[in-house]
Amino acid sequence: MDIRKIKKLIEIIEESDIAELEIKEGEESIRISRYSAAPTQIAYAPAPALQAAAAVTTTPAEEKITGHVVKSPMVGTFYRSASPGTKVFVEIGQAVLAGDTLCIIEAMKILNQIEADKSGIVTQILVENAEPVEYGQPLFIIE
Amino acid sequence: MLISDKQKKILTLLADGEFHSGTELAEIFGVSRSAICKQLKGLSELGLHHSAVSGKGYRLDKALELLTPSKINASLGEAHKALVSTLEIHDSLGSTNSYLVEHSRNNAASGFVCFAEHQTAGKGRRGRQWISPYGSNIYVSLLWRFQQGGIIGTAGLSLAIGVAVIRALKQHDINDVGLKWPNDIYSQGKKLGGILIEVSGEADGPCAAVIGLGLNLFLPEIQAQSITQAWTDLTNISGKKPLPRNLLAGAVLKHILAIVNGFETVGIKAYLDEWRSYDCLKGHLATLFVGQQQIEGIVAGIDDNGLLLIKKPDGTIQAFASGEVSFSAPIV
Repeated sequence: MDIRKIKKLIEIIEESDIAELEIKEGEESIRISRYSAAPTQIAYAPAPALQAAAAVTTTPAEEKITGHVVKSPMVGTFYRSASPGTKVFVEIGQAVLAGDTLCIIEAMKILNQIEADKSGIVTQILVENAEPVEYGQPLFIIE
Repeated sequence: MLISDKQKKILTLLADGEFHSGTELAEIFGVSRSAICKQLKGLSELGLHHSAVSGKGYRLDKALELLTPSKINASLGEAHKALVSTLEIHDSLGSTNSYLVEHSRNNAASGFVCFAEHQTAGKGRRGRQWISPYGSNIYVSLLWRFQQGGIIGTAGLSLAIGVAVIRALKQHDINDVGLKWPNDIYSQGKKLGGILIEVSGEADGPCAAVIGLGLNLFLPEIQAQSITQAWTDLTNISGKKPLPRNLLAGAVLKHILAIVNGFETVGIKAYLDEWRSYDCLKGHLATLFVGQQQIEGIVAGIDDNGLLLIKKPDGTIQAFASGEVSFSAPIV
């Protein structure tokens, strides 16, 4: 299957609240799931967070974004500092280098330091501290 | 350093829990008896209480088994010892995790293990303190580098490490233990140990994980006063019999190493069934605090990615990747 077609499918899923999609084309088939591995048999109710994430991707403001978007690599909770009361990793307007820590996303009590994958100026921070984030949700804009 | 070399030597001698006379100690260390008295006062400040009996000498209120590399290595065994690049035992550190995160930034090799007898800033989740008095519990961290999968590939590692700790405890006949999602070590509804994992690196490239464990072996009441949740220690669970601290330290390290070593290949899948058999939250009425939200429901176990499942009052089941669970009485 064409990689562009797969990319398009992923985008469609990201904009919806579908947890999983399976498509067959002749002998080829592809299954795309929101989670990294096979889903359980339970039908999940759409989470409020998922709807929130979908809303973010459809706001007009986001369509105007020209800079580099740092997306969440996982589902978890977004933190702007290492622990409560300590200094935030980055502020709007701050220059960052690729490899600098931007935030922590906690998933299953693993504290993941999310690094900038591009140098530049942080122009937007799109998530509030201590809020849940979804896979692929935009977190920062670096220009 | 919190403990002077002299104090450490005195402590090593007193660790047996027997009486040692002031004269004996003064002679061994070549100092005056009043100097010994002063050193012992310093130890009391660390929570190492002792009694002084006229005509007998000094004795620690509780015998200590200090951590010893040779004993930990013996418990670890050759195969797992080969996975350790550095083994350090510190008298006192801020936090074993913070120490290894720092080393990780300076390109320390995978397999770096660090124990501490005492932590001045032991870390729990989100800025909470892990109570870490001297010489009686286990505080250990391991730096492990994953080559592929990246941050995403370590998903679920936290649950697998919980399984490792339970395996180590069971190996020592401590069976009345379970896991509270994602990986708190529990016994009889009380917290016995905690695991904190800090990962840095690329989302899908090489990454480094610092895995920290705090396990209560003997936590004096007076030290535990600031703990706001129900807690326990292995001394309580095992009925006061002395615990082989070095053997246990080696055992938890061995089981953690065995799991991290193969984790990139097998992932969380390999540990799901075992994790579920240790689940002490399932079926309990619980509240999950995530961000500004509070979700109440009955815990329905974990899904195949290790996410927490909560059955809400309307009957729907929702999966959660993060949040703090507080549980009340079990559902009868």
